[in-house]
Amino acid sequence: MSSMITFIPGMTLFHRLDPRSKIVFMVLISTAIFAVQNLYVTIAILAVMVALWFVAGLPAKVVLGFLRALLPIFIFLVIVQAIFYPGEHILVQPLIPDFVPWIGGMGRITLEGIGFSIILMLRLLSMIILLPLVSMTTPVHIFALGLVKLGLPYHLAYTTTSALNLVPILQNETNVIIDAQRLRAMKTFEKGKALDKARAYPALVTPLVIGAMRHAQSMAVAMDSRAFGANKKRTYIEDIEFKPLDWIFCICTLVFTIAVIAASILL
Amino acid sequence: MPAPAIQLIDVSYRYPRTKRYVISRLNLTVQKGELMAVMGENGAGKSTLCQLMNGIIPHSLGGKLKGKVLIDGIDTQESTIAELATHVGIVLDDPETQLFTTTVLSEVAFGPENLGVPAQEIRERIAWALDIVGLTGFEDRSPTALSGGQKQRLAIAAALAMKPSILVLDEATSQLDPLGVVEVLRVVRELNVKYGMSILMATDHGEEVAKIADRALVLHQGQLVTCGSPREIFSDTGLFKKFMIRAPQVSQLGARLAEAGKSLPVFPISLEEACGGISQSIKNGIDHLEEAAETSPAPTSSISQKTPVISVENLNFIYQPQKVHAVRGVSFSIQEGECVALIGQNGSGKTTILKNMLGLLIPSSGKVLVAGMDTHNIAVAEMAQHVGFVLQNPDQQLFAETVEQEIAFGPHNLGLSKDAIQERVEEAVEMVGLESVRKEFPPALSKGDRAKVVIASALALRPEILVLDEPTTGQDYKGCHQIMQIARTFHQSGRTVVFVTHHMALVAEYAQRAIVLCNGQILLDDRTERVFAQPELVRQAHVIPPQITELGQALPASLGLPRTCLTVAQMANAVLARMTVAG
Repeated sequence: MSSMITFIPGMTLFHRLDPRSKIVFMVLISTAIFAVQNLYVTIAILAVMVALWFVAGLPAKVVLGFLRALLPIFIFLVIVQAIFYPGEHILVQPLIPDFVPWIGGMGRITLEGIGFSIILMLRLLSMIILLPLVSMTTPVHIFALGLVKLGLPYHLAYTTTSALNLVPILQNETNVIIDAQRLRAMKTFEKGKALDKARAYPALVTPLVIGAMRHAQSMAVAMDSRAFGANKKRTYIEDIEFKPLDWIFCICTLVFTIAVIAASILL
Repeated sequence: MPAPAIQLIDVSYRYPRTKRYVISRLNLTVQKGELMAVMGENGAGKSTLCQLMNGIIPHSLGGKLKGKVLIDGIDTQESTIAELATHVGIVLDDPETQLFTTTVLSEVAFGPENLGVPAQEIRERIAWALDIVGLTGFEDRSPTALSGGQKQRLAIAAALAMKPSILVLDEATSQLDPLGVVEVLRVVRELNVKYGMSILMATDHGEEVAKIADRALVLHQGQLVTCGSPREIFSDTGLFKKFMIRAPQVSQLGARLAEAGKSLPVFPISLEEACGGISQSIKNGIDHLEEAAETSPAPTSSISQKTPVISVENLNFIYQPQKVHAVRGVSFSIQEGECVALIGQNGSGKTTILKNMLGLLIPSSGKVLVAGMDTHNIAVAEMAQHVGFVLQNPDQQLFAETVEQEIAFGPHNLGLSKDAIQERVEEAVEMVGLESVRKEFPPALSKGDRAKVVIASALALRPEILVLDEPTTGQDYKGCHQIMQIARTFHQSGRTVVFVTHHMALVAEYAQRAIVLCNGQILLDDRTERVFAQPELVRQAHVIPPQITELGQALPASLGLPRTCLTVAQMANAVLARMTVAG
């Protein structure tokens, strides 16, 4: 789990890009993903994302891991959309007759509903691939520097990006706590009913929260001791440079975004 | 005359939303170029004192500060953390929380970048700081991939890059293996001697203090008990008894001899002094000495006849997906009623072996049998009834509202009746001595008591085997021995104890047998005294025998003292016996 978003060193196109290019890329592509409603164009975007994933030389395992974790949410969304999306081509008759006030007509599954839910799923997939494309090819402090150069105050940029660092720490901590409680003869996390799991929650969450607070406290002391947030103009030993390659990349991204949105409107 | 490096004038401090002053009416002066050690029990106010130095208190943590803290003549309350950072660098105990960037280079750059130092100068400072701590060439490594000693040296470099004239170390060696401690102290001493830095070092480790400190002060409940040279501090046996100051083992020996009316010519605080003093005292009285019989006991035959409770057969473990081969073909068996220590540097495979024993990890190849059962086929919850496990960090499992409820958690999971649970809770509370805090909220207890709650929780499952993973890390002298005494009581009831630790004095005192691990393999597996009798070999595993054992080896053989002494008491008795013969 810990390797899902953390930086993997490399020399690919994505590794060489300026973080600002990648931020532009992220903003434009997510706009495109949200704007496009057409099935074929959505598939096209996803195909490009998958291709870029290989360009960036990232392990396929990561995406598969994400998919496994998110599968229940996908299924839930598809079902909800299929049931609630209005449409004319009815595949399954409503569970509740139309004359019932308020909830009448619910439970009907339409062709449009299924189509919409498939599009939604594909869009979510594109988003899931998009984030690691940036986070796994950019060291956190370089990404923060990109945000600063785009005008974000340093402490905000740092806080945003260090939240990414916190995820693997918390994941690791969770595993240790679960192991510790299993060794106190707790079976719930292995094979418990949902209700038992809910009851077992404090045994996991209390140490996790207290631990995270202690961690944050001592980290704050360490950071303050090194003048974090001093009221001076901060310098950076590493500089980032917006190269011709970045211009080409950004223009391509822009053209692609306009093209897919236009296609989605025209089709 | 220049201002002293550190001057505290009648300083009292309490944290926000608390009433008790954790530092009270403290006066202290540290001269430029002086190395001052701060000693005292956990909760004496050592960390608070350290954080007063660079303005973290009160600027970052708030609270109420009375009196004046002057750093290079600057009043910290009128200054800023950023300005103070260029006067005082601080290194904390936990390597994990004080390193927070992705490379060694950016870690050292972090401070000067915040101060707005020009990029070119930062690069020069990084090269300089990494050179001092001996990490040149590590620039692109990730801090998480460094050893404990390297991490702490990196933290020193990160502080040095802000060009402070004072370095504050808050228990900076408390989580390191013995060789890591040596590495860090070498750097600290060089900074003090060669670069003339003033150093304030909070530590619980008397041998460190004796070696490098100019003066030491003792804190107790936020008040200054005394301040003087290490020799003055350690020769005052009253201090040791009252405030549990961990004096060097040779000083403990000196104190015992003095109590028996056989004081050494000079009260020893170093190995050399003890060695010289003992040789002189014994030789003075004797002209001819017959070689004394080797006093180390023959291996007891009872052990080999019992059944093994833990048997590890050709264990291999490879962490996926990184393919780290953490344990390579390890085999050993532990008999019922043994007390065994697993030692070796961080990353040598100790914890991985423990996890395989508990069924938390499944061997990549080989077998682990515990109480006759293959850990592969048995649920962790089932295993928990046979093996009580005590985690290094108690905070990773405490959650209940009271100590009693916390201890009842395990028995409750076993589905026992209310009466049976109550009986087990009583038994466990009594065994570890938590009677006075049984209704308290566990996470709010002192560090020593939190560790006891965790041990009690494991004991409440009535295991046959007790496994402790670095139970004494971050504990003071009193805490360490209280924890190990509980383990000893358990062991004396005929049950088995396995523990992992970096504290070699505890290994010497409590373990009958030590298994030394190095790079995932067994380097040595023998009775403790024989393991420590091979200092050259165990050094490969970052293990350094306790000072009292080193003393036994350093003394001339002609004195007829035991070569492998494990405890201060053992050595004191032997020396007294020889003195009587001689006298």
